[in-house]
Amino acid sequence: MSSPVTSELEPATAGHVSEYLFERGWSDGLPLVPATEESVQAFLVHTSRDEDEIVARLPQLDREATVRDLAVHAVMAGCRPEYFPVVLAAWDALSAERSALGGGWQSTSGPAPFVIVNGPIRAELGINSTGGVLGPGFRPNATIPRAIGLTVRNSFRVIPHALEQATQGLPGRWTMLIGEDEEHSPWEPLSVDGGLPAGADSVTATLVRTCEFVDNRHFSDPEEVLRDFADTLSRSGSWIFRHSSAAIVLNPDHARVFAEAGMDKQDVREWIVGHASKTEAELAAVGKGLSGQLPDGPFAPDHVHPVFADARPANLPIIVAGSRNAAMSMVVRIFSTWSGRSFPIR
Amino acid sequence: MSGGIIDPTKSRSTVTAAGTDASRPEQLRDLRVGLLENGKRNAAQVLDAVGHVLAERHGTGPLVPLIKKQFAMPLPDDLVDELLAGCDVVVIGVGDCGSCSASAVADGIRLEQAGLPAAVICTDAFETTSQAMAELKGDQAYPFILTEHPIANLTGEQIAQRAGGLAERVAERLLVGRPASEAA
Amino acid sequence: MVVGHEPGGDGRVSEASAVDGLDPVASALVTEYLYDQGWSDGLPLVPATEESVKTFLAHTDRDPDEIVARLPQLGRTATVRDVATHAVMAGCRPEYLPLVLTAWDALSAEPSVLGGGWQSTSGPAPLVIVNGPIRSGLGINSRGGVLGPGFRPNATVPRALGLTVRNSFGIVPHKLEQATQGIPGRWTICIGEDEENSPWEPLSVDGGLRPGADAVSAMLVRTCEFVDNRHFADPIEVLRDFADTIQRAGPWIFRHSSVAIVLNPEHAQLFADAGLDKQDVREWIATHAGKTEAELAAVGKGLSHLAEGPFEPDHFHPVLADASPASLPIVVAGSRNAAMSMVVRIFSTWSGRSFPLR
Repeated sequence: MSSPVTSELEPATAGHVSEYLFERGWSDGLPLVPATEESVQAFLVHTSRDEDEIVARLPQLDREATVRDLAVHAVMAGCRPEYFPVVLAAWDALSAERSALGGGWQSTSGPAPFVIVNGPIRAELGINSTGGVLGPGFRPNATIPRAIGLTVRNSFRVIPHALEQATQGLPGRWTMLIGEDEEHSPWEPLSVDGGLPAGADSVTATLVRTCEFVDNRHFSDPEEVLRDFADTLSRSGSWIFRHSSAAIVLNPDHARVFAEAGMDKQDVREWIVGHASKTEAELAAVGKGLSGQLPDGPFAPDHVHPVFADARPANLPIIVAGSRNAAMSMVVRIFSTWSGRSFPIR
Repeated sequence: MSGGIIDPTKSRSTVTAAGTDASRPEQLRDLRVGLLENGKRNAAQVLDAVGHVLAERHGTGPLVPLIKKQFAMPLPDDLVDELLAGCDVVVIGVGDCGSCSASAVADGIRLEQAGLPAAVICTDAFETTSQAMAELKGDQAYPFILTEHPIANLTGEQIAQRAGGLAERVAERLLVGRPASEAA
Repeated sequence: MVVGHEPGGDGRVSEASAVDGLDPVASALVTEYLYDQGWSDGLPLVPATEESVKTFLAHTDRDPDEIVARLPQLGRTATVRDVATHAVMAGCRPEYLPLVLTAWDALSAEPSVLGGGWQSTSGPAPLVIVNGPIRSGLGINSRGGVLGPGFRPNATVPRALGLTVRNSFGIVPHKLEQATQGIPGRWTICIGEDEENSPWEPLSVDGGLRPGADAVSAMLVRTCEFVDNRHFADPIEVLRDFADTIQRAGPWIFRHSSVAIVLNPEHAQLFADAGLDKQDVREWIATHAGKTEAELAAVGKGLSHLAEGPFEPDHFHPVLADASPASLPIVVAGSRNAAMSMVVRIFSTWSGRSFPLR
């Protein structure tokens, strides 16, 4: 949509419409754009999919959302029409996540959909993959995940303090969409780990809990950085079951250091999986010993419990993103696990 | 008109002033060289190394190391006075973080306006924010010197190597003023 | 006049009833105009007009020209009127304005804010904590999903801060804002303390105000890190779990750092039942959370370069400089439905001061 002739603008009307949309209870707390037949049509022309195709469902609530419903929420979230195929692909990806179908939207953990975009579409839509990639300021990064949240709210009717039972929730629950900085990554993109050809426009999504920064700028040896990641990954606070999964949003500067040391992504994964752990005694000290929980227990106090079940990308996806202006990376706690699949944008 | 929509960026209190450089000396021989470091890791070491190369190659006078304690903030007035009284030229740096890089440029512009030739060094990862500060200060063409990021984990030997190249660009900036080449 | 679509309802879209004075097409044009000006954080804005700003200003006694926010290094300031403009644009209701203004009072007392926080590579977020009866007056969430989305004051008040940083200070990502990766929810973190389910005095009392006062505390923070501990048998186990997260090496940059805890009411009650008050909790954690020199050196973060160094490999470095509320503020919030709390990394440190709502 191009800029209108400014004499046509009616800010008072816009204020009233915004207030009306709040009053209807459709908002996540922020201003919405009204959806109309015309604006929804403008979005639907960006896909060849049947507008009545069901893309998202929540069987336990007997709720579903069609292509058309997703377009309504994309409009309301503030998306531009050309973002719509990414919204659709994000739902394709989320619909393959057991955690999203298994009650994630209602969970006390209040997990967020974490959406990663690969391919040339990043530049076409202006998706941020560099400085402040997890933060605010970029329209596609901000509005596409918001469209997901509005669908959960209005199509599934999962609303806080009612069907949504987040205990504390997460800051930025409906804001986590990033591009991978493929141009500054020494490795193949995440979508290749997810089973697609390199260079494909694609979306990967999983549910996540908190992001935990690892600020390591003064290293003299890549192994120091790996130990720093392992230290964060093995903290007990996030320990609930025997194993857990985590993503790393890896700073390009950290990625470069690993690559220069001859490591590929899988080497990094294997190192971390081999080193991130706690002993039975350490877990028991925080009330999380696994001896009584598991059929193969009890365990000796010095028994080592690795955080990860294995070193597959599904358990430890690595995405290169962020500015190289300071060597900080982010450990992102996956709620349950990632399916390991990426989805083409179509 | 835009139907009366307020432009939120037009704060009534915004002040900008067009920047001009101080007049340049003909040579650096015997001049007192201020080394204004910002307390960031390796900043003092880099400036000190640059200062020694300047002494070696250009016969500069005494090096006057000074520290800006709050790296993100404008220079305190007493520090400006100290610089003006104690130095003939000043090297500022190293801007290697989000706020301190922009701030180093602001300091350079302020000192130039006060009559002290200044050379500002920032790391290349902060080029855009340094440039944004120059624009915000109304001096879009303000020349600052970029060096490869990062510097915090350079060894002493690497710092000495880096200083060799930097010193020439610092000398050029201090002597020629504009148009200095904005090295990449 | 068509107003829009009912977005819910059995996966189908039905037309809402027409309401006079609502023109969604005109409204969407305004939204797009506001995006085109570069004023948005990425999400739709409400346009500010003289009229709407005046409606907001009616909720404060302050002079519209009073300067409430400043950034000396950029030569930028924001007046009460500028802040009201951004509150309108963020989607606030007029009665939220005193909260936004007081949040700026609080942020203006934080050395980290004046010291370059908005431009920092860390990309820190303002964490705004509200105490007092104003929470229920404005409908501020302090319980389930307190850190998450869904509540207008919690969502729009911190957004107004972010828009002021963007437009009044001119700090825009990839330019003067230099966040390396940033943090999710940077302009979304405003919480009420759940005073009703806390066994202790509210944070605002630690911040120097009398109990029951409407108050705002604010600090800059980096990431939130959950501590999920539901099956404890003993409060010390939970304290150890907090210490384990607080002492992780990843955030270690300087000798000491500060953290806040958004404490689940169930964890708070557990501590209180064991006879611990907030200060006892702080002291336990301040004493126990730390790493040895050898552990830090293994990740490239040994502290032997400090003036007091070098240190023996088994020298214990505590995370916190002391057990003051400024180094470890504790806020009780969240639902009692699962015993999860949040460790929140403070960027630099908190001033330790709360500010009366005005």
